[in-house]
Amino acid sequence: MSEIKKIHDMLASKQISCKELTEKYLSAIESDNAELNAYVNVTPDEALKQAEKVDRRIADGEEIGLLEGVPMTLKDNLSTKDIETTCCSKILTGYKPIYNATVWEKLQSEGAVMLGKTNMDEFAMGSSCETSYFGGATNPFNTKYCAGGSSGGVASAVGANIAPYGLGSDTGGSIRQPASFCGIVGLKPTYGAVSRYGLIAYASSLDQIGPITKTVEDASIVFDAISDYDPKDSTCQGRKGAKTFDTVNNDIKGMKIGIAREYLEGVRDDVKEAVLNAVKIYESLGAEVVYFDMPALKFALPVYYIIACAEASSNLGRYDGIRYGYKAEHYNGTHDMMCRTRSEGFGAEVKRRILLGTYVLSAGYYDAYYKKAQNLRGTIVKAFDEAFTKCDFILAPTVPMTAFEMGHAVSDPIETYLTDICTVPVNIAGLPAVSVPCGFNANGMPIGMQLIGNKFSEATILNAANAYEKAAPEKFKETKWGVKL
Amino acid sequence: MKYELVGGFETHVELSTKTKIFCSCTTKFGGEPNTHCCPVCIGLPGTLPKLNRQVVRYAIMAGLATNCEIAEVAKMDRKNYCYPDLPKAYQISEYDKPLCEHGYIELSNGRKIRILRIHIEEDAGKLVHAHGDTYVDYNRGGVPLIEIVTEPDFRSPDEAREYVEKLQQIMRAIGVSDCRMQEGSMRCDVNISVRPEGSDKLGTRTEIKNMNSINNIVKAMEYEYERQIDVIESGSKVIQETLRYDDATNTTSSMRGKEDANDYRYFRDPDLVTILTSREEVEEIRKTLPELPEAKKKRYIEDFDIPEKDASLLTKYRKVSEYFDEAIEGLKNPKTVSNFIIGSIFRRVETEKDKEAFDVSVSPKHLKELVKLIEDKKIQNNLAKKTLEKMLDTGKPCTEFIDESDLGGVDDSALEQMCKNAIEGNPNAVADYKGGKEKALMSLLGNVMKQSRGKADAQAVRAKLIEMIK
Amino acid sequence: MVTKQDVENIAILSKLFVAEEELDDLTRQMQEIVEFADAINNAPDSGEEFDNINNLSNVFREDVVVESLPSEEILKNAPEQAEDHFLVRNHN
Repeated sequence: MSEIKKIHDMLASKQISCKELTEKYLSAIESDNAELNAYVNVTPDEALKQAEKVDRRIADGEEIGLLEGVPMTLKDNLSTKDIETTCCSKILTGYKPIYNATVWEKLQSEGAVMLGKTNMDEFAMGSSCETSYFGGATNPFNTKYCAGGSSGGVASAVGANIAPYGLGSDTGGSIRQPASFCGIVGLKPTYGAVSRYGLIAYASSLDQIGPITKTVEDASIVFDAISDYDPKDSTCQGRKGAKTFDTVNNDIKGMKIGIAREYLEGVRDDVKEAVLNAVKIYESLGAEVVYFDMPALKFALPVYYIIACAEASSNLGRYDGIRYGYKAEHYNGTHDMMCRTRSEGFGAEVKRRILLGTYVLSAGYYDAYYKKAQNLRGTIVKAFDEAFTKCDFILAPTVPMTAFEMGHAVSDPIETYLTDICTVPVNIAGLPAVSVPCGFNANGMPIGMQLIGNKFSEATILNAANAYEKAAPEKFKETKWGVKL
Repeated sequence: MKYELVGGFETHVELSTKTKIFCSCTTKFGGEPNTHCCPVCIGLPGTLPKLNRQVVRYAIMAGLATNCEIAEVAKMDRKNYCYPDLPKAYQISEYDKPLCEHGYIELSNGRKIRILRIHIEEDAGKLVHAHGDTYVDYNRGGVPLIEIVTEPDFRSPDEAREYVEKLQQIMRAIGVSDCRMQEGSMRCDVNISVRPEGSDKLGTRTEIKNMNSINNIVKAMEYEYERQIDVIESGSKVIQETLRYDDATNTTSSMRGKEDANDYRYFRDPDLVTILTSREEVEEIRKTLPELPEAKKKRYIEDFDIPEKDASLLTKYRKVSEYFDEAIEGLKNPKTVSNFIIGSIFRRVETEKDKEAFDVSVSPKHLKELVKLIEDKKIQNNLAKKTLEKMLDTGKPCTEFIDESDLGGVDDSALEQMCKNAIEGNPNAVADYKGGKEKALMSLLGNVMKQSRGKADAQAVRAKLIEMIK
Repeated sequence: MVTKQDVENIAILSKLFVAEEELDDLTRQMQEIVEFADAINNAPDSGEEFDNINNLSNVFREDVVVESLPSEEILKNAPEQAEDHFLVRNHN
């Protein structure tokens, strides 16, 4: 059952006022956030103001939309006018944007109630949320573990019921991986299905905004609301075709599921077992399974890091202490001011990626790294094109393991890079993928699997994911936290 | 030893679009600081560029007007460098797939200056340095530019002068830029090297920046040519570097510092998509191009028998040739109009800027009316000239200054009386003429014209005088 | 092989300071990352150039002016400003 629909029905039937509902969430945040560290900025005044507006409309007997009055949260790399937006970096502390991200405009026009901005790895660079300037978000299933990253705050908040849903961004797995770690649903849309305008860029050719939700139906509802053509983003085409919600409950009999063997290599046994169990459930639902090889995937990880870091090194050049954000206190001359501001304002992981990006673009290395990686990107795109001639979607683990313990990921950055192996190919090829819970390990930590679709086939993967959710509801577990409705 | 100068140009031209290249802010020159700005052009985190269609069109027009090939596939790249006037820390430009390539501009000596490429890019903001601090204004940031790069085809400062003038004329004629060097809407960087005459090897080059007039370009090139020769003759080597021209001292000096570790790390801008230009579009744009100054000049010389010098002046300024074209419509002798423009009107429009604007009190229509009277033999050239001066003073049409009695010439009996008066009043001139001094007739002729207040037909007077003296 | 000199050079291009005591560690890390990236050298290169992910072309904006923001808005987040300009003092 969709969480959003449930809340909508309660509001529409006046079981609870929007103000009461919002207050419930705000007080749950107040009590739970200290341990979860999901929110970095709670905005009760704005939330209650919007809630009262919705209540007035309900009182006036007006019909409210599905998302109207439903509380939610935004990852802190989405630009919100007059509300501090930091990317969880020291370098953007105090920055209050003068414009809204397109997705936020869209959700505002739907009447959404934003509770606050959520935690993330600094500039979305990380897999555990721990590179955040504000410290990492913890996992609602066990706070000794991280929520994952980079959209760890949204995943932690949704997993802990201190937000019904949220928007994250996914450059190399940053929606799917934390959703997988926190036992919830995360949709990374097709590149170009959702406007990036107002998403503070990490790697422009890979970044996409998407929903992190409790259920697949919720992901479908939110995706339909944010996926639209935007004249402000040259790469945005919007959703192609009907609303995904129209077909999310369709029968999946006869659907062809592809399994690329490379996705199962090096995957921890418990994760592999959970994914293969899901395959069995799909077969019981009448889907067919085809196995094939995709050797091009072997190069996906270095291709991803080269391209992402190259673009990041350019995207992050603008933080120079002149127009916004942090500025070094002591310096001597403009050049020195810029260098000090950046050296003091960026964390270690961000600096590493800027340096790597600069390296692969610099004279003498461009051809060997950046250009080669671009060519290989084309090869990976083609490999997926071919795969989709054999199946309707590809099923794979989201992450080769379950959530890391807090502190583990930052101790060995390169080992952590390797854990992105299953998520990055989707970003390289610009494909949609949804991560759904598919089991638990021996410690009770969630395992996730992802359904990867062809471009602009969100409807197909959401339909298939929803069929699984209905067939295996026990994989979607509540945690002890937050609001109980 | 004799040395040959080898020069190349990189010219930035600001396009006269209404809006910036990647956002909808105005491109108007000046304005209070930071008032022509938005989140996009100050590079706020999360903003994205959206390419102005007109920028591409103007660049293609510029390419076609300079004989370039237009790329079927072009793309935008990022040129990465940090400087306070560059809000994103990269300039969006075109690196290896520019819109236009392989063009040329032909000089009057017959040499062709090859154009390597023309690409589109964004301008930077403006820095004001005061008491050691830096003040930043982003109004100019994001104004569209084309950069026109030539091959090292220049052999003299004079060729450079002609090239820049021609480039200005062309860009103005097709309406893509006003090319004002003083306001910075046209900026030239010049590469210079020297080599022994006869050698075909290129010497080490220097690049000169900061020249804000054609005269400065010529002077800077002359100076740098001599300087490099002195360096070589003294046994040293020319260092490849960027130089700043100082017009107060007419010298160049090194601009060290700005180019430490120049590695722009160009890569394709992932926020922008490919630019495809079909051959049909190219032809469609070609058709809309107005006649270029060079072709116009040729036509004025050949069809209207206008001297080359005058034709050059008429076609140098877009507004002047437009004025001329309008004034000659329906006239038999456009040369008269040309003479009036260059002889009379130009004397009142002195500066280059005024000639560019060519805002004169007499409309082309009124000038045409005046010249028509001459063609219809209703008034004489001299009277017309005087009338034009009055028209220019007041802005009124010629009918205000020429009454009915002035028109229609002078009848025969009156003419005879006037000639008689002239002959009787100037016996010396008559004697001189009879003695073989042809010129003496001119003073008699002048006398008659004066009596007729310029109305009489000079040829008829001349014939009458000769007849009567005999 | 990534050398200390390499790291120093790319740090300058990146406008980042690398402290003397960080340099060894950072060079080693960079070397590890670059080795990891070197894996692509074993990949068969089609040599085919990648365009953009959805093969989009000719996405343009019309040349119509939209009013700019007031300078107070533009300067709102400036760490320092003076006389409607962003200000970078030479010393602080």
